[in-house]
Amino acid sequence: MAQYRSVFKDETKLDINYVPYNLPHRELELRLLMEFFSFMLQSPEKMAQRVMVTGDVGTGKTVLSQCFGANVTSGASKRGINVRYIHVNCREYRGSLFLILQHTVSVFHPNFPRRGYSAEELLRTLTQILDEENAYIILTLDEFESLVDREGSEAVYKLTRLQELRQNKPQRLSLICILRNLKAIEKLDASTRSTLQSNIIRLEKYSKQQLIDILANRVSLAFKPLAVPEDAVSLIAELAFSEGGNARFGIELLWRAGKYANAENSETVMPECVRKAVSSIIPIMRKSDLALLGFHEKLFLLSIARIFKESQKACVSLTEAEQTYAVVSEEFGISPISHTQLWKYLRNLSALGIVKAEVSTGVSRGRSTAIYLLGIPAQELEKELMNLLEKKLA
Amino acid sequence: MNIEDVFSSRLRMKILKILVRVGELNVSEIARRLNVNYVTTSEHLKVLEDEGILLHKMFGRIRLYRLNEPSPKAKAVQNIIDTWEHANKH
Repeated sequence: MAQYRSVFKDETKLDINYVPYNLPHRELELRLLMEFFSFMLQSPEKMAQRVMVTGDVGTGKTVLSQCFGANVTSGASKRGINVRYIHVNCREYRGSLFLILQHTVSVFHPNFPRRGYSAEELLRTLTQILDEENAYIILTLDEFESLVDREGSEAVYKLTRLQELRQNKPQRLSLICILRNLKAIEKLDASTRSTLQSNIIRLEKYSKQQLIDILANRVSLAFKPLAVPEDAVSLIAELAFSEGGNARFGIELLWRAGKYANAENSETVMPECVRKAVSSIIPIMRKSDLALLGFHEKLFLLSIARIFKESQKACVSLTEAEQTYAVVSEEFGISPISHTQLWKYLRNLSALGIVKAEVSTGVSRGRSTAIYLLGIPAQELEKELMNLLEKKLA
Repeated sequence: MNIEDVFSSRLRMKILKILVRVGELNVSEIARRLNVNYVTTSEHLKVLEDEGILLHKMFGRIRLYRLNEPSPKAKAVQNIIDTWEHANKH
């Protein structure tokens, strides 16, 4: 039997949750973030900060914030200051302030009860805990749009104006809000918006050369020496650049190409491995988007995928999708949900860029909605959704 | 209270085992795990707290109980439960 060889020395360095020590081409933004929060290392009780980080998918918003979190907590701990960095993906908590606060409280008290009180009570509990532990938190609200969509101004107002209810007491809660663009916060009322908008860090798309640097950095951490030739890195950078300068996509592709090289028992990741990997990949942002969809949302998307898989059509109508969804619901033994809710799901799927929904007013009566599937093979999408649904049911 | 009175109750022993295992819990959750009502649970918790083995913290209406770690009695309880459960595993 042939000996197993691997091109990787540590593939965890390509994991979506890995936070590198340095961030190529985001040094300035990292310094800026440290600057905004420099008070945390001197007199944290005197102020609280709010920063917004914006940028497209894969521009490094999450990793920038996490890297900053690691730096600031280690700096504070050296000075004996109890600073906690808490990173919450709002979409994972369905945009609910209650669930977000519950997660935050659970960092301090993991068995804190899950029901029986309101979000306001939780916020009071959180401040009590912080006062008792003399702790300060930087709460990062990733995918902030989700919180704004679900809770509107009220929730954001509560978070940002917390201190007004506790005059002359140490300021304990700072916020970092991560979102794709600032349009989402236009929905907030003017006073809430004004509490947020003072510090904005905009992350521009990575250029191809910047992507090459980022990938080369990860190659040195994750692969054995000389395992990934320059032309393979350059090809991945090109592909990631064409995906909107998406570094996350590039890193996922790098990992997958490594897997193809291992499967072929090759000592190097050749461009052909990259090509094979890209033909099989659902971009990671879509994959993580899929995982975060609700159960019925997944069923509805599964229905859409199945219609596209069975037919050669370019688009399907919402009516067809609803009919297939009814069948899929039956297959999973649950009652289908209403048309209005499905319409909301469709808008969300469209906002995520998984499908495109177009409302057209035809020559005959009424309006109809056409659904297009973007850039994901229907078969792959079906497979991915079935995996997720089966996991959920198990 | 005498040691035999404190440890003579099966429910009190179960409360101690639960808290040694999970660290900290609210009254309703302890009651749910013991399958007894809130009032009974509260009474047993009070006995253990009066003995200095447990302490509680209030967060609004939520009361969280845990072992009073600095107390020698709590340390002794933790030791006996850990030793017992470890010995039973091997």
